[in-house]
Amino acid sequence: MSTQPLRPYTGIRIIDLTRELGSYATRLFADLGAEVIRVESKQGRADRQKPPCMPGLDSHQFGGVPYAFLNANKKSLSLDLASTAGKTVLADLISHAQIVVYEAGGKADVTLADILAVPGARIVTTVSYFGLTGPYSQYVGTDLIAQSLGGIAWLSGEPDKPPLQLAGQQSVFVTSLYAAAATAIALWDFEATGHGHVLDVSAQEAIAHSLQNAIQVYDLEKRISSRGGEGVRDATEAAYACKDGYVFLAAPLSLPASWNGIIQWMTEEGFDGVARLHEPDWADRATRCKAAMRSEFKALFERFIAGKTKQEMRDNALKRKLVMAPVSKLADLQEDPQLVYRHYFQQVAMPGFDHTIAFPGAPYRLSEPLWQIEHGAPALGQDSEAVLAGLAASQNAAGGQN
Amino acid sequence: MFPQFLKGIRFADLTWAGAGPFSTKLFSDFGAEIIKVESGSRVDPVRAGGPFKDGVAGINRSGYFASRNTGKKSLAMNLKSQKSRDILYDIIRTSDVVSNNFGPGAMERLGLGYDEVKAIKPDIIYLSMPMYGEDGPLANLLGVGMTISAVTGLMWQTGYQGEGPIGPGTHFPDHAANPYHAAFAIMAALRHRRATGRGLKIDLSQVESTINCMGLPFLEYAMTGQERERMGNRSPFHAPHNIFACQGTDDWCAIAVETDSQWQSLCRVAGLSELADDPALADAAGRLQQVERIEQAVTLWTRQHGAKDVMERLQAVGVPAGMVMNSRHLMEEDEQLRHRGYWQTLDHPEIGESQFTSPPFLLDGERVNLRRPPLLGEHSEDLLQQLLGYSAAKVQALRQEGVLE
Repeated sequence: MSTQPLRPYTGIRIIDLTRELGSYATRLFADLGAEVIRVESKQGRADRQKPPCMPGLDSHQFGGVPYAFLNANKKSLSLDLASTAGKTVLADLISHAQIVVYEAGGKADVTLADILAVPGARIVTTVSYFGLTGPYSQYVGTDLIAQSLGGIAWLSGEPDKPPLQLAGQQSVFVTSLYAAAATAIALWDFEATGHGHVLDVSAQEAIAHSLQNAIQVYDLEKRISSRGGEGVRDATEAAYACKDGYVFLAAPLSLPASWNGIIQWMTEEGFDGVARLHEPDWADRATRCKAAMRSEFKALFERFIAGKTKQEMRDNALKRKLVMAPVSKLADLQEDPQLVYRHYFQQVAMPGFDHTIAFPGAPYRLSEPLWQIEHGAPALGQDSEAVLAGLAASQNAAGGQN
Repeated sequence: MFPQFLKGIRFADLTWAGAGPFSTKLFSDFGAEIIKVESGSRVDPVRAGGPFKDGVAGINRSGYFASRNTGKKSLAMNLKSQKSRDILYDIIRTSDVVSNNFGPGAMERLGLGYDEVKAIKPDIIYLSMPMYGEDGPLANLLGVGMTISAVTGLMWQTGYQGEGPIGPGTHFPDHAANPYHAAFAIMAALRHRRATGRGLKIDLSQVESTINCMGLPFLEYAMTGQERERMGNRSPFHAPHNIFACQGTDDWCAIAVETDSQWQSLCRVAGLSELADDPALADAAGRLQQVERIEQAVTLWTRQHGAKDVMERLQAVGVPAGMVMNSRHLMEEDEQLRHRGYWQTLDHPEIGESQFTSPPFLLDGERVNLRRPPLLGEHSEDLLQQLLGYSAAKVQALRQEGVLE
């Protein structure tokens, strides 16, 4: 271990009692060297069972796909958390930790009161759908519920259809990112002053904090932002079908290079639709935000690009300085030339697999090799003995100093 | 409370528009000194973009700008002049962090590339956050938040079942994924410098950052080779799981049944005894097979009640349900946010009193209180005289020469 470089969170021990909303937060610390210990019951924590399961693997032992992503680099200790002995071990672990991240709610194995009762100062970050206080504090949440009560679903979709959830369980990430950043700042203070802190992070608040300018539009101008950007978003901002998929284009008048570049391109190719775009209504910002303009542009632009591939579109975006890009499938990402060039994806060895699995790489690049995925998510209890031996060593060391 | 956890940390902050300033705002809210270096001749697009108080445009009247820049100081200069570069170098010598979210090469053109900055401040922490990263064949592709959604799979996966991709209705990656990955990285770099004495360069590709937030569906694809089709608001694993039309116009409630007992509770509250008793619907697999039949029955019930009523009745029996909130609902009606003191009122010389979202957590049971955003160039003279020790005469000359704007 002595040859390991010092990483930003080397020496920081985090007790991870998260199930979904907070699991990415502790993963971020683990990726930078923190020792993140999942303390689970003998049956394993509920998050291991979150679907989908991994092909051919028992989710009780190995967890499912969400578990695998959110818990890479962590350790697992399983205990009988209902027994006095188990509770004592958890309290000992907490007493030797600088951070506890706790997910409140009905499925929790331990109570917040138990955690706060452990002597000593540290950071206790609680994560929940609606916060620990208030009339919704006992409400049951899911990603769809958080996206709805937080306000992002209202803003997504089309005007004559229902509001739309964002894919990929985004409330997990939004909540965890705020939780992680706030926990890091609280730790900074704890290390400077010795003062512990309790953070009460709400997924609903985190999403409501991330609604672009919808809050200010209502507060200052009393307009309610709505899905489809009706009356707000320019007619040229959408996904359009091309020969082999879709591209996203933004060519409003506020991005003149993009708008003029599209006109220029159509002109060069002798596209007959370009004449229409020279008419005066296309020079008026407010008119361009109307639904009729949107559908007209869609028909016109899709006719222009019907024979063009995503790659041709991207090449032209680069050449002509258009704000335009392919709408990538997940299947496209590992062939994205930029991501290939930057060696973005990481191959990770995982318990239960005889081959490595591609993981998204670092969310930020540091100029020293401090971010790493060292191993996949832990099998249930795989680190129990090592963690308990480490705890005993810490206690002996502490005893020796006395 | 006004936490001073980061007091003593100074940023020379060149970020503008949405994602960058939202990241550095977290630091000013915790007591760091964020010197927002901006320009009056090439103004931050969110200052120009609004919304504006009472709809009246003005460079200091944008609510969007206000919400991204609480507690910062503004230094307004013509960044193209050599003298402004000298001032910036003086500021950087006293700073811990230099941050920007320009495209690749822009900082170099301003004489502020990493190597130049490191030469004058060897332990600097330097954050760049261009869309696709600093180097590579697509580094110069222009983008906005929605472009990032497009190239990361988020747009492809977000849409109605059987229709084309739509993506988030906002520039979503600008408002959480990228600013808070950046903030986390800066905190890590501050720790690293404290431990080693060395600064770090942070190259945050907003695409690479956002793909992590698509990690769950991406990993499923990587393991199975199968990519799921768009499902609207449905779930491949649970049913009913959708957003249901309620009694009013544009009135919606999400319902997400994840267990068989929640299913029984929903049926009881909604009076769906025939469905409750149907053994074919007793588990999720059976319900998924008849999802349309179930959704039609649930909709007949939700149509008779307001969304808030549907939510309260279902939550009372432990069924995950949530009204779909718009900005007015959130600000004026939501009892939870009101109870937790989420909305803060700040006074401002040009905007007057307006509402701000709090950082989305309670800290030791209290709100982190915000300080108002700066007027353009509000702190220019103070910073030059008090921080850099320039004489009043020198500052006056810089203003007359048009270096200060």
